[in-house]
Amino acid sequence: MFSRLPFKTQKNYVIIGFVALPLLLLLTFAYYPALELIRLSFTSWDGLSPNKPWIGWSNYKEVFSNPAIFGVFKHNFAYFAVGIVQNIAAIYFAVVLNSKLKGKNFFRLLLFLPYILNGVAVAYLFGYVFDTTNGSLNYLLGQLGFDALSKTSWLGNGSFVNYTLASIGFWRFMGFNMVIYLAALQSIPNDIYEAASIDGANGWQKFIRITLPNIYKIIELNLFLTVTGALEVFDLPYILTKGGPAGSSETFVMKIVETAFQFNNYGLASAMSVVLLVFVVIVLSIQRFLLKGKGE
Amino acid sequence: MKKTVLLAMVSVVMLTTLAACGGNNANTNTNTATNKPSTTDAATNKPDNGGTEEAPKVTGEVVFLTNRTDMIDKQYVDYEKRFEEKYPGVDLKFEAITDYDKTLKIRIASGDFPDVVFVPTIPNGELANYFAPLDDITFSNDIYFKDLKANEGKMYGISSGASTVGIVYNKKAFEKAGITELPKTYDEFLTASQKLKDAGIVPLASNFKDKWPLDAWVYDVTTVIGSASDHQNKRAETDTPYTLDNAYGKSWSILRELYTKGFLEADVNSTNWEQSKKDVASGKFGMYLLGNWVINQVIENGAASEDIGFFPFPADNSGEAKAPLNPDFFYAVNKNGNVDGAKAFVQWMIEESGYEDFAGFIPTLKGREPKLPQLAEFNAFNPKFFEPAAPVDAATEIQNKAQLDQAAVVQEFVLSKDPQKVFDKVNTAWAKAKKDLGL
Repeated sequence: MFSRLPFKTQKNYVIIGFVALPLLLLLTFAYYPALELIRLSFTSWDGLSPNKPWIGWSNYKEVFSNPAIFGVFKHNFAYFAVGIVQNIAAIYFAVVLNSKLKGKNFFRLLLFLPYILNGVAVAYLFGYVFDTTNGSLNYLLGQLGFDALSKTSWLGNGSFVNYTLASIGFWRFMGFNMVIYLAALQSIPNDIYEAASIDGANGWQKFIRITLPNIYKIIELNLFLTVTGALEVFDLPYILTKGGPAGSSETFVMKIVETAFQFNNYGLASAMSVVLLVFVVIVLSIQRFLLKGKGE
Repeated sequence: MKKTVLLAMVSVVMLTTLAACGGNNANTNTNTATNKPSTTDAATNKPDNGGTEEAPKVTGEVVFLTNRTDMIDKQYVDYEKRFEEKYPGVDLKFEAITDYDKTLKIRIASGDFPDVVFVPTIPNGELANYFAPLDDITFSNDIYFKDLKANEGKMYGISSGASTVGIVYNKKAFEKAGITELPKTYDEFLTASQKLKDAGIVPLASNFKDKWPLDAWVYDVTTVIGSASDHQNKRAETDTPYTLDNAYGKSWSILRELYTKGFLEADVNSTNWEQSKKDVASGKFGMYLLGNWVINQVIENGAASEDIGFFPFPADNSGEAKAPLNPDFFYAVNKNGNVDGAKAFVQWMIEESGYEDFAGFIPTLKGREPKLPQLAEFNAFNPKFFEPAAPVDAATEIQNKAQLDQAAVVQEFVLSKDPQKVFDKVNTAWAKAKKDLGL
């Protein structure tokens, strides 16, 4: 019966059939909750009661006027800074592992493996590494003769606890960034390099003039991932430090979770989530603006 | 014509696929459907039971949502057998979840939750919206904590057990440090700590980093120091609830003193809870300031029961032994569930299950002696117990509005160079929240 229809109508039915289902899923599980979040951000819902009193913009006023809420964003800077270093390292390893090297698949696997591990497991693992008295890092430092260093409280010093945590992120996500760069590098045609070699270009010149421009879009993508990642850190500080010492490793997402589930202020927490969303969009727009046109 | 037939076909196909998406929903619906008749059954049974309290006829399914994931397939199998023996008509089921409070609240908000649960952290005024009053359960003796989860004279929660807070210590470690007599005053406590430190033992395991172990300093040491348990409620009456000379300032200054004298872990920001249990068990750490519930856990981690002792924390120099008496999780009954079956289960848990001994609790039933030998040692000090005061919602409301995490304040207070500044900051936030709420 279906086959008796004109080809064009058949095509349309198939297209509608295939598009409708994913769209429906997307709308119910992504857009509807997002809209609901925005609606909740204008209420003072406590998470339980059936009535959700509308309170207008006051949640948003609270987010921006309370330094205890908005001030934690400065803790995210460490993750951002380390993220930049992480991308540079990823490009470096990608270039090295894209060349003719013995056992390069093994090294690729080795660098990518941390990404596969579960985030909570990674956090626990590093809990043992960074432990002050029984930790493996301090033990290693002690064995190497750095007696003063071997008593460092890696997770207990407010001035660098965020960098300690960010370094775990580095270990975890560098391999992932590297794999993306590798894919981009492999898509650059070899003849460009050959032509450059004939013209007498050295390795560094080839990297700057050929490799970098060709993977520019990918760098942008990786930076996008790094920035959103830096703004949305949660699992590492939540498990390793609980935001301590004295709140110096608290992140914005931790604050949101705390506001919603500990202080039962779902309305304010929703507003904070919306602010985070807007913040990510703003930071990314700035990034796009700064990098605009270079890769075209 | 054909087009319409085809359209119909396509929509049928779509509908069936979508129906698969909704499958879960349908399931839960049937679940509630099967639950509901049993409720009405129970309701119709009620008049018969009215006269005779003995052997109530309860039937249907009773689901208990528990936090003890470790007891599933172990003790609960035995509980189910024994309970169903006594109430043959009941099908008892256990469902264990982690992250209890958050998960339960989400399920309550969805409108469908198990018959017996533990009371989540909600204001007492809202208890009646979700739970059935439990006043008509007749226990063999009076019970503790009747007014804690009550509203307008009706009781909605029954504590699964009671616990107290004091110093859990390793007797071997005390022996090694040459402590012959247990400290009865704060000065003696400091001397004992110094002896432990000199012997190379960490005197007190604070588990500072994990925050929750500091709750003892927020709720219990403060009770002991002020000889009153309503300090949390009293906060609602003032703009400056945290001052250096009240119960909070005094007890947190004790922790601060222990910290500055080096009586806590070498690095308090890098503590490990699981490891600390092993260290107390082995005598590497000397003491805990925690509830009696920790005793069994230390024993599970390798200590002999006779090596672990328990005494009241001497927070001052009066020499008088004082201790708080705290409830554990409160059983509550879903008012839209199998109420009669659930009540029978709660009563059975309190009276017959033996759960309080398994968990190392002081029994909720007054007059029943705890089986734990350490609790007997504790009681030999003849401590004056302070039962908690019924909570006042105002204080909780202000605290939530001010986004105040007291354990985090303890951390800041101990680590800060100027504790008064920490209090000033907290008090400002408190006063503002109090004003915003119009309290």
